[in-house]
Amino acid sequence: MHKLTTYALSAALMLGTTPVWAQVANPLSDARVRQAIAYAIDMDTIAETLFRGLDIPADSMIPNGEWKVDGLNQYTYDPDKARALLDEAGWVPGSTIDMVYYYGDQDTVDFMTAIQAYLADVGIDMTMRKLEGDVTGELNVPPSEDFQTSGVTWDMAYGARAALALQEYFNVYSSDQTAYTPPTPEREDLIARINGSADPEVLKQAFYDFEEYENEMLSDIPLYYRQLQVYQSDRLDRHGADLGNENFIYDNNLINWTVEPNEDGEEVMYIGGAPEQFFEHRWLNPGGLTSQMLFDRLLTANGSLVTNGVQQAESYTLSEDGKSITFVLKEGLTWHDGEPFTVEDVVWSIETALKTPTMNSVFVSTFNAIEGADAYLNGDAEHVSGIVVDGRSLTLNLIRVDANVLTTFSQFPVMPKHLMADVNPLEFQQHPFWQNPIGTGPFRIEEIQMNDFTRFVPFEDYHGGTAKIDEVVAWPGGESDESIARNAAAGLLDFGSTRTLSNVEALREMDHITLTPVDINYTRSFRVNAFPFKPE
Amino acid sequence: MLTYILRRILLMIPMLLVVSFLIYLGLELTPGDAVSYMIPPDLGGQISPEQMEAIRESLGLNKSFIERYFIWLWGAVQGNFGYSLSGGVSISQIFLDRLPATLELSIAAILISTVLGTALGVITALKRGSATDITLTIGGMIGLSIPDFFFGLAALSFFALELGWLPVGGRLMPGYETFWDRLPHLILPATVLALSLTAGVMRYSRAAMLDALSQEFVRTARAKGLPEWRVNVLHGFRVALTPVIVLVGFRLPFLIGGSVVIEKVFQWPGVGNEFVSAVRSQDYPLVMMIALLSVLAVLIASLIIDILTAVVDPRVRL
Repeated sequence: MHKLTTYALSAALMLGTTPVWAQVANPLSDARVRQAIAYAIDMDTIAETLFRGLDIPADSMIPNGEWKVDGLNQYTYDPDKARALLDEAGWVPGSTIDMVYYYGDQDTVDFMTAIQAYLADVGIDMTMRKLEGDVTGELNVPPSEDFQTSGVTWDMAYGARAALALQEYFNVYSSDQTAYTPPTPEREDLIARINGSADPEVLKQAFYDFEEYENEMLSDIPLYYRQLQVYQSDRLDRHGADLGNENFIYDNNLINWTVEPNEDGEEVMYIGGAPEQFFEHRWLNPGGLTSQMLFDRLLTANGSLVTNGVQQAESYTLSEDGKSITFVLKEGLTWHDGEPFTVEDVVWSIETALKTPTMNSVFVSTFNAIEGADAYLNGDAEHVSGIVVDGRSLTLNLIRVDANVLTTFSQFPVMPKHLMADVNPLEFQQHPFWQNPIGTGPFRIEEIQMNDFTRFVPFEDYHGGTAKIDEVVAWPGGESDESIARNAAAGLLDFGSTRTLSNVEALREMDHITLTPVDINYTRSFRVNAFPFKPE
Repeated sequence: MLTYILRRILLMIPMLLVVSFLIYLGLELTPGDAVSYMIPPDLGGQISPEQMEAIRESLGLNKSFIERYFIWLWGAVQGNFGYSLSGGVSISQIFLDRLPATLELSIAAILISTVLGTALGVITALKRGSATDITLTIGGMIGLSIPDFFFGLAALSFFALELGWLPVGGRLMPGYETFWDRLPHLILPATVLALSLTAGVMRYSRAAMLDALSQEFVRTARAKGLPEWRVNVLHGFRVALTPVIVLVGFRLPFLIGGSVVIEKVFQWPGVGNEFVSAVRSQDYPLVMMIALLSVLAVLIASLIIDILTAVVDPRVRL
């Protein structure tokens, strides 16, 4: 009898109440099978050839750097070892794995085809299919309450995790979030540790332990790190500003940037990221140069997203136990429409964000930690009791330590209450504000031609001084848009970043463009459905 | 005649209803919905299924298919096409914002293709069997066979990037406003779009011209000793023009739908470009509006042609 059928029958007998056809046993729940898959793939060769040397093979979800522990098993290509592990785990040669992916580019198809060949070589048949429609939903179906049966139907999913904070890589395994790996006491403890301290050294050790644990468990099989390729034209001078993670907000010295003047003597810089139909709201994905031009943050971060100063805040104080943070706002700040920026805007933004579903998980974690957030969300309180206002001072009292509280306030943009007070948090993106947003940032919007271009000009009353560039013209299209190469070739793109290989290849052929790779928190992996059973 | 026109107009109503239902059904059968596209998969896990459902409820997406269709239909009948699910902007506003760009591009392309196609068709007919005829006929076949996007990219690469004569895309450079400012941006997309249309017009007008030239009244005119150019232009060309006008009439709906591919290639901020984004993000009110107006344009064009045909040939009214 086929081994999978045997698994299915035993599963039904074990669970009793579940019909025979409802679920099947999952061979991927055996860590040895997951390890065998990791050994079966020659990621070094794939990175060098298929990905044109632009990607770095990964041995952990955590990027290389000081937060990565030494001595992790690299799972260097070893098909014999893969076969031995599969044999040990009772794998029936020729059994099939259902692989899903969601990228639509040719590189992904080529990659999937290569993986299919590598797995076939060790006796694993792989089918592949592209997820369409509710991709996020299909990747995140909750498991059964007893964590025995997965909700997802796939065996492995090829995708990426782009993280603002390192905790995001592992918090998805927690019992209240997991969609593909069953929680274990050890893992739950590790999750508590990486979230439970504000002390970097304590956190670092917790991450090291987690990385070692996952290096054995392989809930995700890490594949490669994709660097962000930052492009800059030779017209632009950033005056020594460091390059950092362009996907988020960092102190990049924007107001001092200059570009070669045009024939009218004006300094006009060209970038991407203009809206096609509306400006993207910045509580889910806070990054991007246009976001930085429009919206200041309370705090600033360096290129590695470590908090390094203040912006809208005059000062901030984090209590010793990490459970209280106080901001004092700068005096005299105004929005682009001339209205004063007040502490009320901050309070309103935090309270509204708590009720907004399309929210960055790092922000959610911080705001949910504020005392009284639960009562406010349940409707038992009109305001969040843990937010205390005193003149220009604002204190947030937390019920637990939030390791990323400073990161949150270096990324979270405060919105103008006077323009958005009537917003329905469930339809935050649909508010008319996003047709022509204002902030307190160094540039304001001068003209919008939706899906054509947006013009930004310096905000004269900016607290940090007036920007030197006379005008910024943004074209529509994100980092994977094919117009990047075309606009750059025509001299109509001065700065931006991309991870799309075809764009990178085109840009590096241009003499007037300098490409600089930047390490970011972006890891591609195979999510492995490791629950004991899965729906048939 | 009036009864005939009224009957045709009344027939359009059930046709529109059926088509609108089919489009709505097609969107319903597509996996996912607008909410699915609000959270990128790379940031997945940040929003719970309950929160997704709350957004769906707020946007009215958790109602049954039939219920949603009739809500949409009732709104559409009253002239309220709803709001974009992804951006919250009024559909009518989006359409009004994008339509001028599409009309500009489509009218230019239809004009170029009609004038050029007719002229080339007439020339090939008059020089039937000559090297010119064979060359232009082969050129026409190539024009029909090569996809728009290839022409577009090749033209961009050569005229915009290599020679730098024309802009690489968009409708307007910042700081400029008038039609004359926009003209350099229009030349490439309109010409590329026109080229593929030209081939069809050329083939059609060539056949019509050959047919006209073989008629007896042309032979009679020639026998009367009229100059050749008068025979060709006043007798042959005038007659050959009628089917060409019908062909152009059939292309009028194109004014609304524009060219999705060309707008995408040239970053032209028109209805076609918007349609692509709307389909991709499953923004069904927007897709419905654009698709239905395109269908309506087809029906109206068809009605106009039928009326003209009925005027000419009363048998069709029977």
